[in-house]
Amino acid sequence: MSRIGVFVCHCGLNIAKTVRVSELAEFAGTLPDVVVAADYKFMCSTPGQELIQNDIKKYNLDRVIVAACSPLMHEKTFRKVIANAGLNQYLLSIVNVREQDAWVTDSEDEATAKAKALINGAVYRARLLQPLTARFIDVNSDVMVVGGGITGIQAALELAETGKKVYLVERNSTIGGHMAQFDKTFPTLDCSACILTPKMDAVLQNPRIELMTYCEVEEVKGFVGNFDVKIRQKARYVDHSKCNACLACTEKCPGRGTSEWDEGLVKRKAIYIPFPQAVPQKPVIDRNACTYFKKGKCRLCEKACGQSAIAFDQEDTFREIKVGAVIVATGYDLMDTKPLVQYGYGKYPGVYHALEIERLFNSAGPTGGKVVMRDGREPQSIAILHCIGSRDKNHCEYCSRVCCMYSLKFAHLLKEKTHGDVYQLYIDMRAPGKGYEEFYNRLVEEDVKFIRGKAARVTDKTDNPDFAGKLVVEVDDTLTGRFATIPVDMVVLSPAMKPRTDAKEMARLFNLSTDKYGFFMEKHPKLAPLSTMTEGVFIAGACQGPKDIPDSVAQGTGAAAEALTIVVKDRLELEAATAIVNPASCCGCQSCVRVCPYGAPVFNREKNVSEINEALCKGCGLCAASCPASAIFTRHFTNDQVMAEMEGLMEF
Amino acid sequence: MTNIKQIEENLKREAKRLLESKEVSVVLAYARGYDEHHPLPYAARTAGEVGNLIFNEYCTYNLARYLTKYPPKTKIAIAVKAADSRAVVQLIQEEKVKKEDLVILGIPFIGMKDPKTGEEIDQKTTCHMANPVLYDILLGEEIRDAGAGSPYDVLAELEAMDQAARWSFWEKEFSKCIRCFACRKACPMCYCDPCFMDASRPRWADKSPTADGNLMYHLTRFYHLAGRCIDCGECSRACPMDIPLHLFHKKMAKECETMFGQAAGMKIDDKPVMVNYGNQDSDEMLK
Repeated sequence: MSRIGVFVCHCGLNIAKTVRVSELAEFAGTLPDVVVAADYKFMCSTPGQELIQNDIKKYNLDRVIVAACSPLMHEKTFRKVIANAGLNQYLLSIVNVREQDAWVTDSEDEATAKAKALINGAVYRARLLQPLTARFIDVNSDVMVVGGGITGIQAALELAETGKKVYLVERNSTIGGHMAQFDKTFPTLDCSACILTPKMDAVLQNPRIELMTYCEVEEVKGFVGNFDVKIRQKARYVDHSKCNACLACTEKCPGRGTSEWDEGLVKRKAIYIPFPQAVPQKPVIDRNACTYFKKGKCRLCEKACGQSAIAFDQEDTFREIKVGAVIVATGYDLMDTKPLVQYGYGKYPGVYHALEIERLFNSAGPTGGKVVMRDGREPQSIAILHCIGSRDKNHCEYCSRVCCMYSLKFAHLLKEKTHGDVYQLYIDMRAPGKGYEEFYNRLVEEDVKFIRGKAARVTDKTDNPDFAGKLVVEVDDTLTGRFATIPVDMVVLSPAMKPRTDAKEMARLFNLSTDKYGFFMEKHPKLAPLSTMTEGVFIAGACQGPKDIPDSVAQGTGAAAEALTIVVKDRLELEAATAIVNPASCCGCQSCVRVCPYGAPVFNREKNVSEINEALCKGCGLCAASCPASAIFTRHFTNDQVMAEMEGLMEF
Repeated sequence: MTNIKQIEENLKREAKRLLESKEVSVVLAYARGYDEHHPLPYAARTAGEVGNLIFNEYCTYNLARYLTKYPPKTKIAIAVKAADSRAVVQLIQEEKVKKEDLVILGIPFIGMKDPKTGEEIDQKTTCHMANPVLYDILLGEEIRDAGAGSPYDVLAELEAMDQAARWSFWEKEFSKCIRCFACRKACPMCYCDPCFMDASRPRWADKSPTADGNLMYHLTRFYHLAGRCIDCGECSRACPMDIPLHLFHKKMAKECETMFGQAAGMKIDDKPVMVNYGNQDSDEMLK
């Protein structure tokens, strides 16, 4: 005989609006083995928790059922509640009457009937629940940060500051990310390099940060506190342990590659550092641009190198590291605007995208900071087109959040550098950050022409002889209601921020989920914005959604704190609900071995059966579900328990 | 196509050689049953037993069924037709047998006959491939032209039915089931021991042939064979009640192939499709 208590939560009106909660509690009280049933407005609040704890003692309860929100939300809360009242925390069953009931129907009758069925099932299952003992594992105190943009740099520096060892993994040959491409940053217009490069250097100098540039994460195994990560060091063809960063090699190199750094506006050498302030300052060889790799002859860099650091025979190498937590800060890609043919990017040389303009402003850029166009002319009139791909149901429905502000920044810098006419073509001006509205007001004073309307087309064909040789931007001015044509020399597109093209592979690598656009999903949009559904893996910066620098830096710092909550511990409590194999029933098909995301089942070739390594098991139940012989069961979700629950459900 | 008598002779010759040289300890092939039209699966263990071996149009049984019955590391020679070879490949993928323990005697042949009806077997009930996909020794000439027709053409009629009609079709068919488990016995992929049907805790279904139990048994078995059935059609031929089980399997195979671009038992390097995840996998079913 069990002594079960059922506690029904109103969740304010979230549940009580559709489920007749007092009727539900009354019904629960009539079920066999239920000795007490109560309802309360907020069961998760202090009075609610006390109500449960008091009843456990008063009625000597040995099983507790809480009918409330999803167990993802508060199972842990209520486990603690009953544990503090002296019950084993696994003698709890959560019935989800919110997300799976109250929120999916308007009918009170239906919702209440379903809630009754769910509770009946839970009572059936609760009788069979077994106390389980939590397990503890040691925690590795190191952290890996993936992505060396401003977010990753910030996270790495903060973590190193706490005394933890950090591996900063960056795919490119330098850290810095997109921010290093910028000239000025809004709204303060402080120089990007002046605030970023000292941080890049701090990473290099910090003895607790191991910088792994030109590296990619190949494989992630393990679980919170104990990740095993395999990292590919891509061949640089330069031995960085010998290189003294004199860069003599880059001077002699006849090879020409496209400068990713300058957004393809100029060529760079085949052996190169991306930009003068790169960290590390040591070059790599671009195989596809290198004369030796293409033609088998040259090796001029080898001759120029006094350190014998050039190593044409270098190959990719692999390294395994162990970390306790991971921060993913892989950033964004700018939308490719070529497919938006109406704006003529790639067709008209006078059309630029945002990152190209950033490079034109930059003193280390292809023009030394002068705004001159591809044909060498300085533009006398410029139109900046907002929301290219953003807020567009055909492309990216979301607002990219940063474009209004950087477009204002562009306008200011273009005014300053060219003294030409600058037009802003915007749908809505969004300036919600600190100091942003003020920046907008400042620009309004600066004789920038604001036209409220989304540009429809950019063309060089026009009947108007005054417009000859100009690009004509066509726009519906929604303030005057008139269709306007604006002749300009230069058009700047502010395209959408998109997830990295390989975000899906990254998500798979780290077991992350992605939203419908491909950005990584946080665990909870408000209360766990940096956590993910994979414990121990955190996300920060633009890989989660468009963000500006202040937000990214804040998230980097936050993610460092989140990671620290794990690696600061010596030991971590593991879920006790693990799977076990009944060897007598195992047919040796190894489905469990193949489906497990954590590598917990191993096949014992001597006995021809699978066995579960409990330290690795997270209790997800995939193996049990895929076992054709039902030889695997998951503690806390045993076949008996699940079948009993279904029996209880079916009675209604 | 090589004459079937010639194939039989080649089979005997290779079996004898393999057993005499001790390359294998058993040769899985066929022997005469109570008459020519009803051969039996046969395991020859000595060169002397090779004389019992036969091969004719009625040797339909998929001998891959017996591979999992031997202890690991047993060296086995097995005679396979095209679909049978796919079963061997699938078993290798599932690591139930190792390629290095096998000598696969491939039989390229078209025109097998159903021992029950004497009718020629074609793409309506099998995959209808002509040549084994994997073999060490080919016991006849490779067949160049296997004839047209997809193994899934036969599904057109079922697919044209509406849901209610399809349901009543299968309801009627399953009601015939006497739960003799011949389909399970004949199937090379049904190697679970014990089968979920034999479990007593929990008891997934009634063991006697009730309507619910029949549904539970067959649907679960179909599901367990999703992406694994190699379309040899043995289940339907083994069925004493003539339930067209192969139709359901074919439908599952077709769905799997469309969704994941992989047919069962075609390449030993493939991963079993239902327990393998790739980023490019279809997620149509989630929408």
